[in-house]
Amino acid sequence: MRLKAGFIGFGRMGITHFSILNNHPDVDVVALCDASNTVLDALKKYLSANIYSDFRKMLANEQLDFVVISTPTESHAEIINAAIDSNVHIFSEKPLCLNVGDGEKILSRLAGTSLVNQVGYVNGFNEIFMEVKKLIEAGVIGEVKNFSSEMYGATVLKDSKSSWRGKKKMGGGCMYEMASHCINLAVYLFGKPDRVTGSVMQNIFSSDVEDLVSSTLVYKGGYSGTIHVNWSDASYRKPTNIVKAFGTKGKIVADKHAYKVYLREPAEAYGFFEGWNTRYITDIAQSVRFYVRGNEFTRQLDHFVESVQTKEPRNQANFAEALKTDAVIEEIARDAAQSFAAEKKQPASLFGKILQ
Amino acid sequence: MLDNVILGDNQFFGINHMSEEKADALAVKFRTLKAITDVIDTAYDNGVRAFMLNTNERAREICDHLRNNPGRYADLVLYPSMPYAHKYANIVAEKGIFGAIKEVLVSDSNAGELLGMIGKGSKIFFDKDIIKTMQLLVDVEMKIFRNLTVKVVFLQNIVTDLLLGFGIKEIFVEYVRYLRDKYDVQAGFNTMNMVKLVDFLGECGIENPIVCFSINKAGYLVNPDISSYEKTIREKHFQPVAMSVLASGAVKPKDAIAYVCSDLGIKSVVFGASSARNIIETKGLIESYC
Repeated sequence: MRLKAGFIGFGRMGITHFSILNNHPDVDVVALCDASNTVLDALKKYLSANIYSDFRKMLANEQLDFVVISTPTESHAEIINAAIDSNVHIFSEKPLCLNVGDGEKILSRLAGTSLVNQVGYVNGFNEIFMEVKKLIEAGVIGEVKNFSSEMYGATVLKDSKSSWRGKKKMGGGCMYEMASHCINLAVYLFGKPDRVTGSVMQNIFSSDVEDLVSSTLVYKGGYSGTIHVNWSDASYRKPTNIVKAFGTKGKIVADKHAYKVYLREPAEAYGFFEGWNTRYITDIAQSVRFYVRGNEFTRQLDHFVESVQTKEPRNQANFAEALKTDAVIEEIARDAAQSFAAEKKQPASLFGKILQ
Repeated sequence: MLDNVILGDNQFFGINHMSEEKADALAVKFRTLKAITDVIDTAYDNGVRAFMLNTNERAREICDHLRNNPGRYADLVLYPSMPYAHKYANIVAEKGIFGAIKEVLVSDSNAGELLGMIGKGSKIFFDKDIIKTMQLLVDVEMKIFRNLTVKVVFLQNIVTDLLLGFGIKEIFVEYVRYLRDKYDVQAGFNTMNMVKLVDFLGECGIENPIVCFSINKAGYLVNPDISSYEKTIREKHFQPVAMSVLASGAVKPKDAIAYVCSDLGIKSVVFGASSARNIIETKGLIESYC
């Protein structure tokens, strides 16, 4: 089945998604929309798709099967609701929305439809993390008792007021931009926590948004984990995820290049010896039909297209799954704000009083 | 004629596909310019004449060193690869795509050059003319290699593949033409999608294009699959340059080179190595199988 696609938002992620899907054998990209139009202005004479600056006009004029939304997070809820009104399938960049209430309303509107939906939480389409999930679910490291999900990058090394990513109101900041990936990876691998505690959202260089996020995730099953995210760390050449899972039979340490498994006893079915075992991406990587910036980007979009073609609403990273991450984000923000308020209320130290 | 043996530069810049730990260790090892030029000297003294160089921050000082010692590197030829995408990535995140291009153009140029650009590019910053923008970016990057012998200028795979997805023929055609007319060098393309790219360049009317791509028996970074790569290499008319032949160490050198040079008949191989032993061994293997 051939599908007609429209793109809303044509910044860094929008052009990546376009490049990948413009090449899909079953997809015709018929419309592109960007409010500011800078990149589209330069490209429009070379592209056959219709160009719009208003997504509502695009949805009204075009007979689309699905849309790809890559706009600042602040606008997601409005655009997604308009897409539901137009009865089109939806791929949206992450996070789903800026607040869980909007996300829940969207889910309830989708409940009666057969519209396929997916959020661009791409780590679940990375071969290493896919394999780590399988190993954990198979109980290779026993019962998971503790984990950490960390993410670092050199994205923000000075205060930036010009980009929407530096503006809290528009969905900027380390939490929505980077920590969302790290939290989503924790939810993907270990499930949604029952509560969060000890959360910190702290700025380093930015004036309007946080540059560092950390929190402890607590599960009723008697295990816990931490997330730690810093997007102002110049020691990382590229954004880097590191996941460590500790279980009763061993542990796993993984990044996007390799994973290591330590086992107290061998697991022959997986070819693992007692002690440390290493698997590199070169052993695990699976090719894709078209590669741009990393094969997980193609894998996630092809998964979406296939889900639309087969009308499978239980696809990976669907809105319901993504909303779990949004809920954790909201909880961490609430927890961090509470601890910050408590900090402010604390009486000054004795030394401070003497100085006063 | 392309060189058979081309020393790559990923190892100098802390790039290793297999492990972030190894990548960090490499970055530490090649912290000083001397550590890099020592490897270049070792390779040169053992007969390597062709060097691939990404236009990253370190490329400038490496090129200064080469220019300052013309006698030492009389026969050295460069195969630059541009643009250095990471340089742009964070600025793009902050300022958008055209904002980033503008910033790079401005920060890399002096006042006189800027006036010249605005004259030549005719309102480049307002028109958003993609071809002129491409030419200005090429000029900025080519300044790094002034007065050095450049044989082929490769377009980095992130940019090649993104544009390949867009399918805009004019950009590819003009890129080849601009490098030939202004700099008298051949254009090459790095890609992770060799089959698609070779077909596309054929549709663009670009004859016998130079295409650099990963090829290894592990199938690592070979998209969509090895068999379609082998078929294209057998049947299509282009100048293949092999890279990632060792798949970051996943394949043994002798098997890797035998496969690429002997089985597939590829005559140019980019490889990364730092020690004299590895350089000599790999060069010897390429020459014996090519």
